[in-house]
Amino acid sequence: MIPAKRESLITQMRRGTLEYCVLALLQDQPRYGFDLVRTLGAADGLVTSEGTIYPLLGRLRRDGLVTTSWHESPSGPPRRYYELTGEGRRALAVFTTEWDRFTDAVDRLLRQGGSP
Amino acid sequence: MTTEADALILRYLQDLEGELRDLPANRRQELLDEVGEHIAAARAALDPETEAGVRTMLERLGDPADIAAEARERFGVQRPPARPATPWLEVIAIVLLVIPFVGWVVGVVLVWLSRLWTTRDKLIGTLGGMSWVLAGLGIVMAEVTSTPLAQSGSDSPVGQPHLETTGPGLPEVVLVAAPFVLPVLAAIYLGVRLRGRDAAASAPPS
Repeated sequence: MIPAKRESLITQMRRGTLEYCVLALLQDQPRYGFDLVRTLGAADGLVTSEGTIYPLLGRLRRDGLVTTSWHESPSGPPRRYYELTGEGRRALAVFTTEWDRFTDAVDRLLRQGGSP
Repeated sequence: MTTEADALILRYLQDLEGELRDLPANRRQELLDEVGEHIAAARAALDPETEAGVRTMLERLGDPADIAAEARERFGVQRPPARPATPWLEVIAIVLLVIPFVGWVVGVVLVWLSRLWTTRDKLIGTLGGMSWVLAGLGIVMAEVTSTPLAQSGSDSPVGQPHLETTGPGLPEVVLVAAPFVLPVLAAIYLGVRLRGRDAAASAPPS
């Protein structure tokens, strides 16, 4: 069993990285909400309830990292698509660099332990 | 079957709207729209649509309370503390603070139990009321020290040592008045802070 404090740390890590996972999913093409949410939901352990992605999308839009626009759908009514802005792309690039450094360093320590 | 599904979805969206009431109206509407669109797209993907399928879809979407909690956190909206319209605990604490000794002790306990005042407010309330205790000590000290002083006075008749003085000086007035004034000031301060909090809590979020 994981102590509550550690569990909250893992929750915080997940929350913090989730927004960059959203940005990453949008870097190649715009996506509509349901598609984005289902793709994220397929990643193990990242999202417990799909609905919580929408407040995050609202936040990203307010911060200017994402914009939305309406596009025709092959079936049914038009859909709201989420798209990366230039600022969003820069934020993702900065995070990716930092993430690589961070995970490399942590991985090395976790795997090697005390050995040189 | 469709009507059952419609009823489930309607109830879900109503629950969500209720949970989102602390959010600014435009944020709330935006989220309701987006979740509504998600549901519409998910329904379109269900083929054939069954009640069980709709239930599963809503379960995956999650508890409306969780979505609202996430929204409050992402948008920095404080959830107003659930409390009665009149903060009785705080009102009683303020009244007790100006009653000497026992009233003050109980009042201080209530002040520290309150969640509406900051630690600084509570300290001011406690220290202000504490002058009752200091006054009590002061009276005892005065009793102890004045007797030998009066007797050691050179030529003033014993029993009326103070009659020949020019009346109480300012420091004495302050010393005597402070124990009565300070608790009242502290109580007024706590009252003002309480009102300030009420106003801030009931103001619409920006």
